This record gives sequence, C-alpha cells and structure tokens, in this order.
Amino acid sequence: MHSETTTNRAGGGFLAARRELIESLVGRNLKIRYKGSALGFFWSLLTPLCFILIYAVFARLLKFGGLTPDYLQYLVCGIIVWQFTVGCLNDSLHSISGNANLVKKVFFPRVILPLSTALANLVNYMLTFAVLMLYLLASGHARLGCGWLLVPAFAMHFALCLGLCCLCGTSNVFFRDTEHIVGVVSQAWFFTTPVMYPVSFQLDFLPADIGWLAYVNPMTGILALYRKAVLGHAIEAGGCPPAAAVAVSALVCAVVLAAGRQALRAGDARFGDVL
Amino acid sequence: MNPGTAISIEHVTKRFPLSALGSSSLKHLVIDAFRRRRAKVFQALTDVNLEVRQGESLGIIGSNGAGKSTLLSIIAGTITPTEGRVRAKGKISSLLELGAGFHPDLTGRENVFLYGAIMGIPRAEMRRRFDDIVDFAGIGEFIDQPVRFYSSGMYVRLGFSVAVQIDPDILLVDEVLAVGDVDFQRRCLKRMNEFRHSGKTLVLISHDLGAIQSISDRIAILDHGTIVNVGGPVDMVDAYHGRMLAEASGGASAATEWGTREALITRVAMADASGAPVKRLPGDRIIRISLDYTASRRIAAPVFGFGIATPERGVVFGSNTQIEGVAVPEIAPPGGRVSFEIDATALQAGNYTMSFSLHSADHQTNYHRLENALSFYIDKACRGFEGVAALPVKCRVCAN
Repeated sequence: MHSETTTNRAGGGFLAARRELIESLVGRNLKIRYKGSALGFFWSLLTPLCFILIYAVFARLLKFGGLTPDYLQYLVCGIIVWQFTVGCLNDSLHSISGNANLVKKVFFPRVILPLSTALANLVNYMLTFAVLMLYLLASGHARLGCGWLLVPAFAMHFALCLGLCCLCGTSNVFFRDTEHIVGVVSQAWFFTTPVMYPVSFQLDFLPADIGWLAYVNPMTGILALYRKAVLGHAIEAGGCPPAAAVAVSALVCAVVLAAGRQALRAGDARFGDVL
Repeated sequence: MNPGTAISIEHVTKRFPLSALGSSSLKHLVIDAFRRRRAKVFQALTDVNLEVRQGESLGIIGSNGAGKSTLLSIIAGTITPTEGRVRAKGKISSLLELGAGFHPDLTGRENVFLYGAIMGIPRAEMRRRFDDIVDFAGIGEFIDQPVRFYSSGMYVRLGFSVAVQIDPDILLVDEVLAVGDVDFQRRCLKRMNEFRHSGKTLVLISHDLGAIQSISDRIAILDHGTIVNVGGPVDMVDAYHGRMLAEASGGASAATEWGTREALITRVAMADASGAPVKRLPGDRIIRISLDYTASRRIAAPVFGFGIATPERGVVFGSNTQIEGVAVPEIAPPGGRVSFEIDATALQAGNYTMSFSLHSADHQTNYHRLENALSFYIDKACRGFEGVAALPVKCRVCAN
C-alpha cells in the first residue's frame, strides 16, 4: 500500500540518503558488538589469530596432518570462512525483532535491517580474512594463481548470507523457535560441510557421475572456490566438471537469496502487528 | 489523491490476530492447525475514512483502546491495514508511543544521527540542526550518555525535539503532552503551533482536551475503532464530553445516580443570557442552570444543591438553596423547575463537571443525586493565577 509513497517519504536523494542509513546501521551494529569491551575492535583481529593457534595445536596433537600437506592452512581457511556464515546466522535472528523499537515507530524499507547485519559481519569478515591472508603468506602456503576466484567466492558467500539473514530475521519475528532451530541446524550444517575434512570424503559415498550432489550444499562450493583461490587446491567433484559443480552451489545461493527476499516481503506487512 | 490532500485514509480496517499479540511459536501454529481453529482476531479499526488537508492540524480524541494509536501507526506506515489504504504525501516524522525509536545502548547523539539517517536527512544537514535539537530537548551534556540512562522525561523531550527538527511535511504525535513538565508542554505546544502555521500538516492524539482543542483545526472522535464524529474543535470537545457523560450514566447508573427517588431530577440544562440552551459555557462565564424535577409525593423543606468538580482536583465549589438562603417550603407532584446562576469568572482554565442533588434539609435523606450530569470547559482563565479559583486579592506594600 505504500508503493506510491515510499519514494516520496525519503524526499530527494533517495539512494544517497539510504546509503547513509545503511552506513549508520552497520556502524551501530559494530559499535554495539564491541561496546564496553576493553580491546573493542581488536577482537575481530584477535579472534582469528586465536583460532589459528588453537587449531594449530590440536591438528598437531591429533596428527590430522596426513590428509593434505597443508592441512592446518586448509582447516583455518575453512573455519574462518565458516565463521562468517555462522556469524550472520546468529546475528540475523535479532536483526528485526531486536529492532522492534525502530520497526514499530518509523517507516523505512525493512530489508535495510538484515542487510546491515550482513554488512556489519562482512566488515568483520574482511578483517579476519586479511589476517588469514597474512598468515598464509607468512607460512608460505599461499597459492594465488587463481586468485580471481575470490570474486565469485565472495559474491556467492555474501548472497547466501544475506538471503539467510532475511530468512532467519523474518522467521524469528513470527516464530521464536527459529533461534533454537538455527542453533541445532547450524551445528549439523557444520559437520556436513567440508570444513575439517576434504570434499573427497563425501564424494566417496556418491557415484562419480553425480558428484555435483555434494555441491547442493552451497558452502561446499563456496569453500572449494576460496581454497582454490588462496591455497590452489583443485575443486573436486567426482566425475563432474568442477565449474558445473560450483554452478550448482551458485544456483542454491541465488535461490536462498530469492527466498529471503520473498519471506521479508511476505512478513513486512505484519511486523508491526507482532513486534 | 486530491492535490491539496496530505493524508488520505480510505476504508481502513485493521484486525490483529490475537495469538500474534502474545508469544508466537511454532507450537501454537501447529496446535492451531490441528484444531482447525481460526485464530481469534481483535478488530482495532473499522472502515475508517478520513482526509487531512495540507497545512491542516487534525486532533484525534477517544477513550483508551479506541484505536487512536493504531490509526496513527497506520498513517506512519509501521502497521499495514488489513483492508483499505492510506496514502500520504511528503516526509512523515512521527512520535509514536512516546519515542522516536531510540536504541538504549547508543548515546543521544548517535541516536539523533541514526534517526536522521532513517528519515533520509543527509548527515551534513543533521550536523547543522544538531545544536537546535539538543537545545530544544534541554538535556545538555547527557547527549553523550547512552539513552538507557535517560529519565523518561529526557527521552521524550529528545524524541519530540528530533521529530520536529527533522522538518517533516507531516508530523504525527501520540500523546506527547502527557509527559514532561509544564515548561516542556508549553514549549511543545508553541513548537507545534509554529509547525502548523508554517503550512505543515499535523496529526495529534491527546487526552488533554484543552490543548488539543487549542491546536487543532479539526477534531475526529474515535470510538471502538470507528470515527463517530469529525468537526470543529470546540464542537467536537463538547460532543466528546456529551458522549462520555452518556456512557457514564448509561453504563453504570448506580454509580452516577442514586437516592430514594421520591423526587427526581429529570433534566438539567445550561442556557445563555437570552435563555437559549447552550452546550458550552457562554462568553460572559455565567453558568445558568435550569433543573427540572418531579415529585411522587409532597416533600417538606427540600434542598437543591450543585457541585462543580474537575477530574483531577475533585470538588471546586458547591452550594445549595439552604446555604444561599433560599427557602423551599415544599415540593409536590407533579414537579417544577429550579434555576441557578453561578458566576464562573473566577475559575481556572480546564474541564469541569457538575453534579446535582435533591435532599432533605437535615441531609439525612437523599431523594436524588445526579453525578456529572453536565460538563463545561474553560479554554482560558480570565486572568493569570495559580490554582483552581481566582480569589479577590488586595495587596499593599509598605517600606519602613
């Protein structure tokens, strides 16, 4: 019903003004996250460093190294990429319900809320990713021949995360169970994604000609792209062409994004009633 | 939408699913699906039609739960109507439920800029207006404290200040006058008047009938989700008083009318100097009451009395035929009429109600008493003073 007035409400410079709103909300998300902590923003650099340290110790103790020569780098890369996805999932739950005071009192395009959550996480992720790159370069395991693959990797990853933010944010407004479901599902998702083990573990269970099935899990394709881009690991897909397998993941990312957009639209009219 | 229209509300109906008002969970959804039970709904608004012209200020009055805030939220766009549509032209700034949507963990300053960003005001522009906002809110150095440390007064003051300084085309204000001290209320009214006179559109909810009457060009009365009357502010405030009284006397007659009923006060009415019936206090501020009574038997030496009260302060003044030295030897069937003339020039501005009674000379028998049978409203006192009534004062100052 507000289609006619939406543009009017912002007056002139619609896009410029919305950009400032998104910037403000992203800034607010980051500010609130580190509010009251002594090290503040440094945590986004400190956390990945601690991760690297912890996994380095345990990978050595448990003698997991036999899987690939650069297993530690493979693992740390997977963990840091995964952290972005799971961080978005957790923060998105309250991206709308946690802003009830705004949603109930001011009209603005609601998509801005999950979008700013995803962007705030992206800012964090960029920093941790920079730390990861420094580590890979320092440890001499960086293989950047296919570095351009980072572009589709980031694009797919962000699309997936934004879609999930919209889905979970909307869902949690109407069903508070979403929180608990997401907690369980994300744990299961972690173990069905080749974060700690290579894709070949899964491919062993699949006939060679339908190896792309492993890539229905979009994180499998995204991780494969990242690892190809920064570690030079080949993208394994059984008998299928790697490009086709990654395309399957990309398609799923697009579907999730579209579903998120649709859910947000459907929910938008009732946010004010429920919050 | 007509060119001169700022807000057009067409056939707006709003139903809230009652289950959604409580905690929602998947469990309820599943259970409801199994029981094939339709969720109960609460109908907050029914077929509301209203048009607000550009530059007009519209007041909305009605009792609690009449749907005033829902209507304002629908205009603001934070709630979507179940049926019908609302169209608004221009930038809307709103102060719904006493707040501008501040985040408790952010400082006043951060919240002000965030609100500006939401309203689409460029940051540079907000920086220019910032000092005015803080000045008007009068919160000083607290501006750099998280708003969760604010008193409720500070919170509302900052909210109002931002909402107004955003310079919207349409300002929606939900009951801002109920909070804040007298000084802030005065500045609020002044600011809203300036806003109104600069050709902007104002929609205002308030229970302060005096304030809303003075600031509105038109008033709409909302009752159980329907607009029952729209018109000039004076007429509507009178009509609203009438409705409340009718509801009060019709709803709980025991509480508002009692006595032995051997004699009954059948009608009380107010008239002006020419004797024509009036609904509001005439300009000369003389309350002329005519009181009709019936008597079922002969009663010796009865007393007719009245009381004037304000909702906040109770009885302000009361008297009767006995006190005034008017002897009524007896009343007898069928009945008759008594009239009072009360000079109300001393009264403070505000809302007043009048009660009437008919009792025995020794006050032991109450034949009939009518509580809050009449009401009147004084928009401005004859002179400035503190309190309810202006007493004659003579003062002399001597230097030694």
